[in-house]
Amino acid sequence: MNKHVSKQIMFSGYYSLDKACHWRDPLVHKGSVWLGGAFCLAVAILLIAILFPDLAWAQTEVSSKSYRYSERELASRSYETHEVRPRTYTVSVRGGIPQKEAVTLSPIAEKVRRRQYLADSHWGLKFYERLTCTKCHPQQARNLHYIRAKITCRQCHGPEPIAGLKHYYSKMNPRRRHAFVCAKCHEGANRSFASYVNHEPSPAALNTRQSFPLLFYVFWMMAAIAVGTFAAFLPHAFMWGLREFLPDNFLSSLEKPFARGRKQDGPD
Amino acid sequence: MARIKRFSPAQRVFHLLLMLSFLTQATTGLARLYVETNWGRFLASLFGGYNKTLTIHWWVGLFMLVLLGIHVLYVLIRIDWRRFPKSVYGPDSLLPRKEDLGQALQHLGWILGIRQLPRFDRWGYWEKFDYLAVFWGITLLGITGVILYNPVFFSNYMPGWVLNVLLWVHRIEAVLAIVHVSTIHFFIGHLRRHNFPMDLAMFEGSVDLEKARHERPAWVERMEQEGNLHTSLVSRAPFPLRVVYYVYGFAIIICFFYLTVNAIANVGELLG
Repeated sequence: MNKHVSKQIMFSGYYSLDKACHWRDPLVHKGSVWLGGAFCLAVAILLIAILFPDLAWAQTEVSSKSYRYSERELASRSYETHEVRPRTYTVSVRGGIPQKEAVTLSPIAEKVRRRQYLADSHWGLKFYERLTCTKCHPQQARNLHYIRAKITCRQCHGPEPIAGLKHYYSKMNPRRRHAFVCAKCHEGANRSFASYVNHEPSPAALNTRQSFPLLFYVFWMMAAIAVGTFAAFLPHAFMWGLREFLPDNFLSSLEKPFARGRKQDGPD
Repeated sequence: MARIKRFSPAQRVFHLLLMLSFLTQATTGLARLYVETNWGRFLASLFGGYNKTLTIHWWVGLFMLVLLGIHVLYVLIRIDWRRFPKSVYGPDSLLPRKEDLGQALQHLGWILGIRQLPRFDRWGYWEKFDYLAVFWGITLLGITGVILYNPVFFSNYMPGWVLNVLLWVHRIEAVLAIVHVSTIHFFIGHLRRHNFPMDLAMFEGSVDLEKARHERPAWVERMEQEGNLHTSLVSRAPFPLRVVYYVYGFAIIICFFYLTVNAIANVGELLG
């Protein structure tokens, strides 16, 4: 019998396969339907993920009826409204820099500022693939996250293309930075927390008076207190120490020779 | 050699705990500030690394805040409320008086050789400054430290960028406190000729009567007039105990000198 079947498989493939694999077995047939359905579903999910990446990315967060973030928000309560793809209203920042910000900028500054609104903030830069982040942003490497925790640029700013900070869908956008970036390490980070200036300017620099005035003035106020304390008390302590090596009647003993000298000079 | 009582046991314990906790805070704080340098990493390694250093810094900081709270309660209990507010502005009080300004100027004149040495009472103006500076320092460092240790929680009540400002306030105030203690406080308290090599008053609780007559004549005369002097006379601490005081005191001074000198020496590496 076995010999007979194997011969049929060899010489008349279709019929013999049908028989050998129990193709028409109702149980097997039902299982294959489920398998096919699951495959189609997986393809559909994959297609959705490919065709609608923004939507898929946004839906990783619970965005509606979420009390978790609402109770942590400082004041705005705008997290739920702006979390996912905007609904009926248009996004005014997508096309570029808002007019009121562009007016006072120089042409180069305007160009740089405009990049903050691009989906690929490094779009069009020559030899970009050969550069490192700190090649063009050396000052940005001086921050506690990088120096102390060895957190790399991409861990916060994401993979290529790196969206501008103000691009609507950027995870570094202040609207969602706390949830997508800060909260990865700082559990419970809220929107207020995300306003911490990671790339802090030098507090002593004159430019900081424009970019971060409170930091500038508080730094110099504290520095003035410290310098003032030392300027007053270090010479005071040093001179006190010197004075104690001199006798208490040091002054009167100095006066005597002078007085004697004056007396001697007098009659002449 | 007669000695006059100057500090109560409670005050000496407060100072002892303050010394130990401040030294710990200075070491752990500088370890974190200088962790990018070899010296900073070495300091941090003494406490088990960068993160453990912060844990110790946090708990000792809380201890200092509690110590300050207990001290405030102690002061409130010690105030003579029946004679309030005169009692807190008396010569035994550490609150500033208008006489202090005059004495400070006269003392400056004495240093410059143009005035007589002022007749100090129990507390000199520099001692009041040191005492009140601790209140200011612990309060400022404590508040900023608690906020910086819990940034997520406190950013519910303030913008996150305030943390940038508070970090600098914490750093500068801490450096001010460490350098002030290492230089001015130690020099005036121990290293000037009058007190050299070490003033044990804060350990023994008493000072030599003759020295007190010279440096604080108004205090001794006041006690004599009030008839309190003979009840305030105490005997000297036993020799072995004095040896312990010297060893302990010098160890603390050397530790602070070590921290200050290395902090200054490593500034270049830190900023570079």
